[in-house]
Amino acid sequence: METYTYVNIFETKGLEYLLLISFLVLFVLLVRYLGGPQSKR
Amino acid sequence: MTATKTLTKQTQQVSETRRILRFLISEMWPKGPLLTPFNIISIPTIMLGIGILAVRFIYGLGSVTNLNQHYPWGLWIGFDVVTGVAFAGGAYVITFAVYVMGLEKYHPIVRATVLNGLLAYVFYAGALVLDLGRPWNVINPIIGNSFGYNSVLFLVSWHFMLYMLTELLEFSPAIAEWLDLKRARKILNGLTLGAVIFGVTLSSLHQSGLGALFLMAKPKIHPLWYTEFIPVLFLASSIYSGLSMVIVEGTISHRVFSNQLDPKKHHQFDEMLLGLGKGAAVAMFVYYFFKVLVFVHDRQWNLLYSGWGAWYLFEVVGCVLVPCMMYAYAYRTRRVGLLRIAAVWALLGILLNRLNISIIAFNWYLPVRYYPSWQEYVVTATVVFTEIWVFRWIVLRMPVLREAHELPQAAKVTVRVTA
Repeated sequence: METYTYVNIFETKGLEYLLLISFLVLFVLLVRYLGGPQSKR
Repeated sequence: MTATKTLTKQTQQVSETRRILRFLISEMWPKGPLLTPFNIISIPTIMLGIGILAVRFIYGLGSVTNLNQHYPWGLWIGFDVVTGVAFAGGAYVITFAVYVMGLEKYHPIVRATVLNGLLAYVFYAGALVLDLGRPWNVINPIIGNSFGYNSVLFLVSWHFMLYMLTELLEFSPAIAEWLDLKRARKILNGLTLGAVIFGVTLSSLHQSGLGALFLMAKPKIHPLWYTEFIPVLFLASSIYSGLSMVIVEGTISHRVFSNQLDPKKHHQFDEMLLGLGKGAAVAMFVYYFFKVLVFVHDRQWNLLYSGWGAWYLFEVVGCVLVPCMMYAYAYRTRRVGLLRIAAVWALLGILLNRLNISIIAFNWYLPVRYYPSWQEYVVTATVVFTEIWVFRWIVLRMPVLREAHELPQAAKVTVRVTA
């Protein structure tokens, strides 16, 4: 019988990959936010 | 005929040298009022500091500091050298942006930034001498007495020395303009790009090199702050630290030396600050990501549930992520006041980070802590005040904030008098 083993992302590099992807997404959002029109004061 | 020409040339050279000497003597006199709040505070502090330094050099470090075998590096290294050099990072960032990336928008602040960087290195990195038990050995890395090829400090000392010379070269066209040496100015201007590229290379290496100094103290630094990536973190943080310092120093300079500036440039200055804030926001975000990645990589979750963990979160979230968001928001909404607050906050974060690594989280497990003596604080204030005095002396005389053609015609008047 085959068993399915869940991968603990704390024990692998999985969490770091997730973090990297999150960073890339957030970085794009930050650049878009900064590149948007500035409000006039 | 040739002898006459040589004689004429020699006479001209003597006349030129006399002109420069007379001009220099005339420039030695103080400009502006003497009894200002800054002078009233700084003069007694500097005099007291000089006295303390005399005691330190006669009777040794132990006579005025609280340093001991467990804490050989204290406030003079933690603040003056490690933090001061990070604050001086603006010079390499701005010169790179202007001369290499061609962002001419920031050209008006290049000289003030380079001067600030140069003085920061001379005074803050120079403060390294104060902390050496045998200060006369400071010359060893230069004269080749036991070169420490494997020593990070050897690399840092050479980089500091070369970078000071490079920054002097970058600033030298202003000195040539001040002395009205047109030919020298032309030659020195031609060397600027090469000096900038060399300076950026040196800076990126010694900013990280300062972090590498702490790699050998692995067992002594709290695991939340120790990582093999300290050099990368030091380099990344020096970028936004330098930009924040340019914002703060530029704001103060524009208020104190407002008479030096063309009123039309005041509006441009706010635009420049907003641009610098945008750059700082991006740099801080990248640095924050590095910190989180290192934290996750080292699996330090359990360390967060302690006082040290709270202190670490305060540094990383409170003094990096929060000012980063403030920068971004201030840029989008064009709030220059908020931008300045973010810059001060970011600098405090850098100060906290450097002090955490070099003093606070250093030997964190020992029951006896190091607290700087009052003499150490006074000497630190002396170093800062002296740097400000020299900065002010130069700005009031040389074309740093103003254009060369806006200079008082003292040099030219002296030429006429001499002639």
